[in-house]
Amino acid sequence: MDRSEIQNRVTSVVASVLGIDPAEVLPASNFVFDLGADSLKSVELVAGFEEEFDIDLDEDKAREVQTVEGAVDFIAQYVK
Amino acid sequence: MADPTGPGRNPLEPIFSPQSVAVVGTTRVPGTVPFDIFHNILKDDFQGTIYPVSPSAKSIAGVKAYKYILDIPDPVDLAVIVFPSSVVKLAMEQCGQKGVKGVIIISAGFREVGPAGVQREQEIKDIARKYGISFIGPNCLGVINTDPAVHLNASFARRMPAEGNIGFLSQSGALCTAVLDYAHAKNIGFSKFVSFGNKADISDIDLMLSLKDDPATKVILMYLEEMTHGAAFVDAARRVIHEAGKPVLVLKSGRTSQGASAAASHTGSLAASDEIVDAALRQAGVIRCQTVEEMFNNAIALAYQPLPKGRRVAIITNAGGPGVLTTDAAIHERLELAAFSDKTRDIFKRSLPVTANIKNPVDVIGDARADRYRVAMGSALADENVDGALVILTPQSMTDIDTIAEEVCNVAAAHDKPTYCSFMGETDVASGIAILQRRNIPHYILPESMCRAFARAHDFRTEKGRRLTPAAQFADVDPPAARQLLDAAIASGRTYLTPSDAMKVLEAYRLPILQSAVAQSAEEAARVAAAIGFPVAMKVESDDVVHKFDVGAVVLGVDTPAAAAAAYATILANVKAHQSGARVHGVFVQRMAGAGDEVILGVKRDPAFGAVVMFGLGGLFVEIFRDVAFRIAPIPLEHIREMMHEVKAFPILTGARGRPHRDTAAVEECLQRLSQLVVDCPQIQELDINPLIVHTQGDGCAVTDARILVASP
Repeated sequence: MDRSEIQNRVTSVVASVLGIDPAEVLPASNFVFDLGADSLKSVELVAGFEEEFDIDLDEDKAREVQTVEGAVDFIAQYVK
Repeated sequence: MADPTGPGRNPLEPIFSPQSVAVVGTTRVPGTVPFDIFHNILKDDFQGTIYPVSPSAKSIAGVKAYKYILDIPDPVDLAVIVFPSSVVKLAMEQCGQKGVKGVIIISAGFREVGPAGVQREQEIKDIARKYGISFIGPNCLGVINTDPAVHLNASFARRMPAEGNIGFLSQSGALCTAVLDYAHAKNIGFSKFVSFGNKADISDIDLMLSLKDDPATKVILMYLEEMTHGAAFVDAARRVIHEAGKPVLVLKSGRTSQGASAAASHTGSLAASDEIVDAALRQAGVIRCQTVEEMFNNAIALAYQPLPKGRRVAIITNAGGPGVLTTDAAIHERLELAAFSDKTRDIFKRSLPVTANIKNPVDVIGDARADRYRVAMGSALADENVDGALVILTPQSMTDIDTIAEEVCNVAAAHDKPTYCSFMGETDVASGIAILQRRNIPHYILPESMCRAFARAHDFRTEKGRRLTPAAQFADVDPPAARQLLDAAIASGRTYLTPSDAMKVLEAYRLPILQSAVAQSAEEAARVAAAIGFPVAMKVESDDVVHKFDVGAVVLGVDTPAAAAAAYATILANVKAHQSGARVHGVFVQRMAGAGDEVILGVKRDPAFGAVVMFGLGGLFVEIFRDVAFRIAPIPLEHIREMMHEVKAFPILTGARGRPHRDTAAVEECLQRLSQLVVDCPQIQELDINPLIVHTQGDGCAVTDARILVASP
């Protein structure tokens, strides 16, 4: 799976979980500061990524990911 | 943070009195900190403009929200950041770009959570410095200003307190909410109410100095868990008390003595951290309180009533037993029962029942109504022999509690002397107590608390009018000589000075040392001892043997040349047997002191407060009873005298039970010189003069043993 596909699917998950327009989801967007994810939404985002990509993420490390770009990099380590 | 009392703009102004506030990171979810802070500002009638900043909400509680603080079209004076700690730096950066000068960071997750939090805290400090932002927190409850022109409740407390003249500053946010609840029940109002959390920028000291100049604040209360800048705190408190005449009351938690056991010297082990705090606060004139209740008991006396000009109280009661209890409590607090003038007694005779007690305490009898209280209180407060009234009431069937309460308030308002009350009971007296509280008459459940508060208020009046003489600066001292010895010891890797070097350091400050010399052989010991004059004391001259008695390296009362030679050999043999690797430079031979009482003088350098000086009587008094007193150097003479008198066994030196009166003036001078020495020589980490032998009055005193621990300052 190439990076742009991961990027598109991450954007889609983020927009869906947070209930926002995909156009607002930029690579540099911070989940909390820019997109308004609270702690519950952060858990839902991790679950959404796992379902979307059919992977099991390391939850501790996933919690350290702050931006959309960071999430793409993180997920890229799990998908072929 | 810049000195809030210095020239230019007060950096706390945008925090206490903003025209516009942005709550950054707020949400639409009631019952969460981000929402409740915004809602508190809104519902508690903030007089400026409020902006919610939320990345996801279009509006909060009906107020248009902004995605970023940078989107707000108007200037923002204060930002309250409620984001999770991981993104506070992003919010802080935007606050800087927006030109915000005051920030309150409510969020937790900084220094208090460990190394990662320490780094986050440093990042926000760096941003604040870059943009010239002053901030409270992080990890705090927030800030409240009850000034009607501002009326800001930027906190997640359950309620906004009433306006009042007490400023409350707390390191604990949770205690703040409890205090607000407690104060609400007692109708106690506040001027400013600040939870300062981790004090990463604005400190407790900055806030105290700010309240010093705050016209709305008459009394400053502080809850502290640490005093990392103790010396600066003491200086600031002195300024508040002596320049502004405002009392500072401190409730300091953490009364443990961790670390003291590791200290090597007597002074080190005796000067536990809390005892140093206690001494420092006393020296500053701060009223230290042990409980929240005691703090408010004292605060309402200081905030609501005139300060007592003296200790003479009139006790007015409708019940004999409580009158006696109050008398006992008053005497315990070193108050005096006022002796009424003839005129006052005549009025009492004419106006009170024949069964009434017209002496002090004045018993107006159980069936007293408001008229008797009016006469008794009014006459007593008008009497020039009376400095204040303590009014007791117990609820009998005919006691018109509310009317009496109103009358007490009326009479109190007509005099410039303090009136405190204790309406004893709970249910029946509740409405009367409410009247007293509403009209700012201090009320106490227990007469003991009332008397204690009166005594503290009088102590404060004395303290604020006190002008201390500066600590003595003797001109006959030789600081370079002392520093050279200390530096040489440090340079050669020694921790302790040898006995002879320790004596030379003391000699450089003209402390009364005894004639001495170091012998390198048994023959020299005999010769030196004879030259000094018998009897002599002999001890090993070593860099390493600290506990000389323990290894048999001390021989006292050596009275012949042969005995001196023998002692020399014994000392070296014992050191070799018990501490074979010790560096030995010979044997220190010293004249034995004449008769006298033993005292100990000591110093411990505390990381927060600097050089702490200790005084106590020697032997059992210091070893068993820990009967010692402390002050922070430099010490004015008045405090040297006070610390000596604080020691319970001090009367032993002043002729108790027919004992000889010792030369306490010489001890005072030793303490003054010691204070000067440790201020001049930061290399001294710990110092014991143990014992100092104090001779009969006029004959001075003598240092017989001294131990000095050094380190690079």
